[in-house]
Amino acid sequence: MGSLAQILVNGILLGSMYGIAAIGLSLIFGTMRIIFLAQGTMIVLFAYLTYWSFEKAGIDPYLSLFTVIPLAFVVGLGLFYLLFRKAAALEDKNVSLLLAVGLMYLVDNLILKIWGATPRGINLSYSGAVLVIGEIRISWLRFALLGLALASALVVYLFLKKTRVGTAVRAASEDMEATTLQGINSVWVCAISFAIGIALAGVAGVGMATVYSFDYQFGFIFAIKALVALALGGIGNVFGALAGGLLLGIIENLAAYYIGIAWIEVASYGVFMLVLIFLPQGLFGRRGLVKKV
Amino acid sequence: MGSDLGIDGADMKLLSETDRPDKRKLVWAGFSALAVLFFATLPFYYDVHNGQFGVFFFNVFVYVIVAQGWNLVSGYTGQISLGQNAFFGIGAYTMALLWFNDVTKTGYYFDPVLMILAGVAPFILAVLVGVPLLSRLRGDYFAFGTLGMGMIVTVLFINGGMFTGGAEGRMLVPKMPEGAVFNLRTHYWVALLVAVLATLVVYALTTSRIGLALRAIKEDEVSAASHGVNVLKYKVMAFAVGAAMAGVAGSIYGYYLLQVTPSNVLTSNWLFLPILMVVLGGTGTILGPWLGAFLIYLISWYGDSYFAGYHPIISGVVIILVMLFLPSGLMGLGQKLPGLGRRGRGSG
Repeated sequence: MGSLAQILVNGILLGSMYGIAAIGLSLIFGTMRIIFLAQGTMIVLFAYLTYWSFEKAGIDPYLSLFTVIPLAFVVGLGLFYLLFRKAAALEDKNVSLLLAVGLMYLVDNLILKIWGATPRGINLSYSGAVLVIGEIRISWLRFALLGLALASALVVYLFLKKTRVGTAVRAASEDMEATTLQGINSVWVCAISFAIGIALAGVAGVGMATVYSFDYQFGFIFAIKALVALALGGIGNVFGALAGGLLLGIIENLAAYYIGIAWIEVASYGVFMLVLIFLPQGLFGRRGLVKKV
Repeated sequence: MGSDLGIDGADMKLLSETDRPDKRKLVWAGFSALAVLFFATLPFYYDVHNGQFGVFFFNVFVYVIVAQGWNLVSGYTGQISLGQNAFFGIGAYTMALLWFNDVTKTGYYFDPVLMILAGVAPFILAVLVGVPLLSRLRGDYFAFGTLGMGMIVTVLFINGGMFTGGAEGRMLVPKMPEGAVFNLRTHYWVALLVAVLATLVVYALTTSRIGLALRAIKEDEVSAASHGVNVLKYKVMAFAVGAAMAGVAGSIYGYYLLQVTPSNVLTSNWLFLPILMVVLGGTGTILGPWLGAFLIYLISWYGDSYFAGYHPIISGVVIILVMLFLPSGLMGLGQKLPGLGRRGRGSG
């Protein structure tokens, strides 16, 4: 039984990364209906920045959260106003999809030019620290990832529920047209949700840098995993997206253990297809949100 | 070949009242016929096998076939498919595996039987995947679903072991029949022929009653259904025909590579570049994919020779610039020229 528990715990810890990314995607998709395929690439970019500041200046990854998050937020605002502002308002969603793809090509290959193709990872002095509960062994760093994910979900949740802008964001993801008619500045609402989405990519990037090794090609797969997590959890629900991520992590770890590592992807995309076909509102989403867009 | 400039309902009415579309169509048809004639006769006065334009145009034609398929399902019908690379790869693998395992006992090298089967296999998959996806989902979820399908297909071929040859794929060079000569001239002509055929199929489909149904679905699904259009049937049909085109293109490309591996026929390039070509040329226009394919392949061709290694970065920049400044495509530009000034150019 110990091994099953270990698998579940590992799955949850892996899934917390997907969860953070999925919350970001959910905000962006919810307001602008953009399938932001570059989310994974942005995560990898911030992972490299964290790695870089650790290697060059010796800054602890967790300290760099305080620089990476504001930086990511500003990058998000910049990207929105430069690239996505007009595209988000268009009926034709191909445009924003391709913009995200273009951004992905661009950033992926810039990373390749700057840092090369060798996978990178950070080796911290406390990387080996392990928490032992009964037969289960958890690396503290991975455990911290779950903390990061929970904290991010809570912050975003409070932002959406308690602030005026957050209320506007929620309204916009219900019905953009009606929101605009209420006198809410829809551009600003989109900008804020996009910037928060990218800031969450920053959080996930720091998390990734502390635990996993990453290379320039990792982004696309990761973005799709985040999409799977989002579909599992259901759009329009912060904790649903997080739960979808955790569930995806568990599914992947179970598949790796019982079927084989090579089949992880088949399992996760298979679940993705089944959910899309039979449960389009996701496990925790509201039915009303799955409508013709 | 005539042209249907992707006019949506409102414009169409306007045009038929004011302009004479027959004349416009005639001009475009004449222009297209001349272009096809030029390309078809090119090998007689230009060495396509050794000259670099042979490879160039061959690639453009292959991209045009895939792009026309995507144009049909996404441009005309409005269902964004993100699984074209899977269909392309399945087409290439159908050809390669049948040949490699000596199944059909036919000629194999540029064998029409194999090429047709390479279109049939993705067609069947598209129907199987399309029926559940398109009957339950609308809008973005179809894009998600086809993306997931593409990923599953890719992983299945990588993990196929003895059946697909895994990551190394299948090497077809030793299987070349005796007497068959590898001359790009054949590739060039076959690709051109199929690209023209694909264009004619899309043209015929979209200018018939079916096209009317497809466009009605794109404009407003509920309204189309309430007017008696069998929405699911037409959506699945467009999706499957588009998939078949990608599959045939895959088999032609497989004949060019003579080694079919997941990394060269299932890569996301075969997904995103055709989409970019269609959007750059003009979504839902019959000649847009040709224009887009020429331009995009030209950029990546010269990008590759002058800025080796930076070429994917350039592609990224090109995609972004095109989407920022030409979101309705080049064919749309010609139509809306008088109204261009109104749009404003604020890039902030």
